[in-house]
Amino acid sequence: MRRGGLEYALRAFWIVLLVFLYAPLAVVVFFSFNSINSSARFAGFSLQWYERLFRNEAIVSALTNTVVLALVSTLIAVLIGGLLGYGFYRYRLGRLSWLIWLIYLPVIMPDIVFGIAEMTFFVAINERLGILSPGLGTMVIAHVTFQVPFVALLVNARLLSLDPQLFEACHDLYAGPWQRARFFLLPVLRPAILSSFLLALTLSIDDFVISFFTAGPQSTTLPIYIWSAIKKGVTPEVNAIATLMIGSVFVVALFSLLAQHGASGGKQSKGGTKA
Amino acid sequence: MLITIAPGALCILVFLVLPSAYLVGMAFLTNGPYGLPTLPLSLQSFRELAGFGFLGWSPGNLYTLIRSVWQTLLATALVILLAYPAAYYISTRPARWRPLMLLVIVVPSWTNQVIRSVGWMNIFAPGTPVSDFAALLGLTAPQMGLFPSQFAVIVGLVYNFLPFMVLPLYAAFERLDTEQVEAAKDLFASPVAVFRHAVFPQTLPGLMAGTVLVAIPAFGMYVVTELLGGGKATMIGNLVARQFAQASNWPLGAAGAIIMIAVTLIGLKVLRDLGRRLGGDREVVL
Repeated sequence: MRRGGLEYALRAFWIVLLVFLYAPLAVVVFFSFNSINSSARFAGFSLQWYERLFRNEAIVSALTNTVVLALVSTLIAVLIGGLLGYGFYRYRLGRLSWLIWLIYLPVIMPDIVFGIAEMTFFVAINERLGILSPGLGTMVIAHVTFQVPFVALLVNARLLSLDPQLFEACHDLYAGPWQRARFFLLPVLRPAILSSFLLALTLSIDDFVISFFTAGPQSTTLPIYIWSAIKKGVTPEVNAIATLMIGSVFVVALFSLLAQHGASGGKQSKGGTKA
Repeated sequence: MLITIAPGALCILVFLVLPSAYLVGMAFLTNGPYGLPTLPLSLQSFRELAGFGFLGWSPGNLYTLIRSVWQTLLATALVILLAYPAAYYISTRPARWRPLMLLVIVVPSWTNQVIRSVGWMNIFAPGTPVSDFAALLGLTAPQMGLFPSQFAVIVGLVYNFLPFMVLPLYAAFERLDTEQVEAAKDLFASPVAVFRHAVFPQTLPGLMAGTVLVAIPAFGMYVVTELLGGGKATMIGNLVARQFAQASNWPLGAAGAIIMIAVTLIGLKVLRDLGRRLGGDREVVL
């Protein structure tokens, strides 16, 4: 049967694709337990690279910086971006409508260009005014700036999908600005806010280039630490840090899977998965 | 109105538009003694970028630009070739498996791009089974790794951007009107003809969206080329970064950044026209 042949071919392709996707990660995890400094030959199981890792203060502070940067920038970006997405929906901007197009700037701007623009800008400001010296502060500003457009677009898209009569109903019921926000906007925007939070967090954690160019000497993040370690040729320790980061990604993936499962199990008929 | 729009608009204006404008302006300054831009205004950095140095004309930078475009096109084409069957396969599985399969595709991209490159460095290093096998086939010299090389860069690019193509293509396949496909089969269309006339036009919007998501960041790539290319396959992004990271010539770097944005915009325009031509009367939103 032809159909059977195609089916088998696709299944084989799928397996090859999974090997392609997971082999690099598996290799990193595997060689992080190597007892010798090599990524070509496995000489025996050992946890020595992990022990070194936790005794290394530079790595511990890089870990803290990574988490602080991601959480702080994401919280600010969700607040500012959410408000912006709402503002673009709620108000006619008239002469300022070109502002909306600026939001697409980060989409077409390569991150290397954005990172360098930020760096030169911060340097210029710092030289003249003495503020914004490179460090965690400048990194948070840079991250918030590239996160805001994504949050605003997601929140805006959600608002556009709502029935406009809902807003009129709010008005008819004499809801004040606070009541409107508390009892109407926040509940209906919850999914959009949650997904933009996760997206912004992912963008921040995945970023290397922009952090690299806006970081100061005291504000190394884990990716930056790994980067400079590779350049010096230190591999097994890098594999160990990378393994910890891969591990945390898989914990998050597991949670998202459980959440998805819970959501579709709870309300089978209108669950997120299209039946 | 001020409360909602002002913070975001200010953030974007001050920290995105202003720095970009500053960078654009820098390209028209002259390179000073310590690599820092100084007056007077000139087109010196653009001339230099085009290859006119004090030793006469050399095509190095032009090669880098051409190589960047070529590597981007190649990686995007390979990503499309891998993503089409993957997206189709996922869309034909039972509905309850699909979210899990999509998650499996996406999860590796949640790890940092530096880590993903480290993974490939481990695989392509000298002495690994993969490198030894390549040497056995005569593809590389013995005792040499597969990285750094242009090959490793392409693998890294494909690996990085595959999910961005699978997701929009899957979305297109899920909405696919199967009756059109059945009709084509009833009319004895060959599998190629079925794909060409019934499947491809319907998945074109997904393909276009995916191409934008893949090609633009691939063209601006810095990490993969720097780690897996190691100077053998530098792209324009690395050329630009080098002018700043080693503080050698900021105006030249800024001019390179302008060229990068210009090429990106031209690429978007070409894609849009291509989408219109391929899509015929269909609306291919970009």
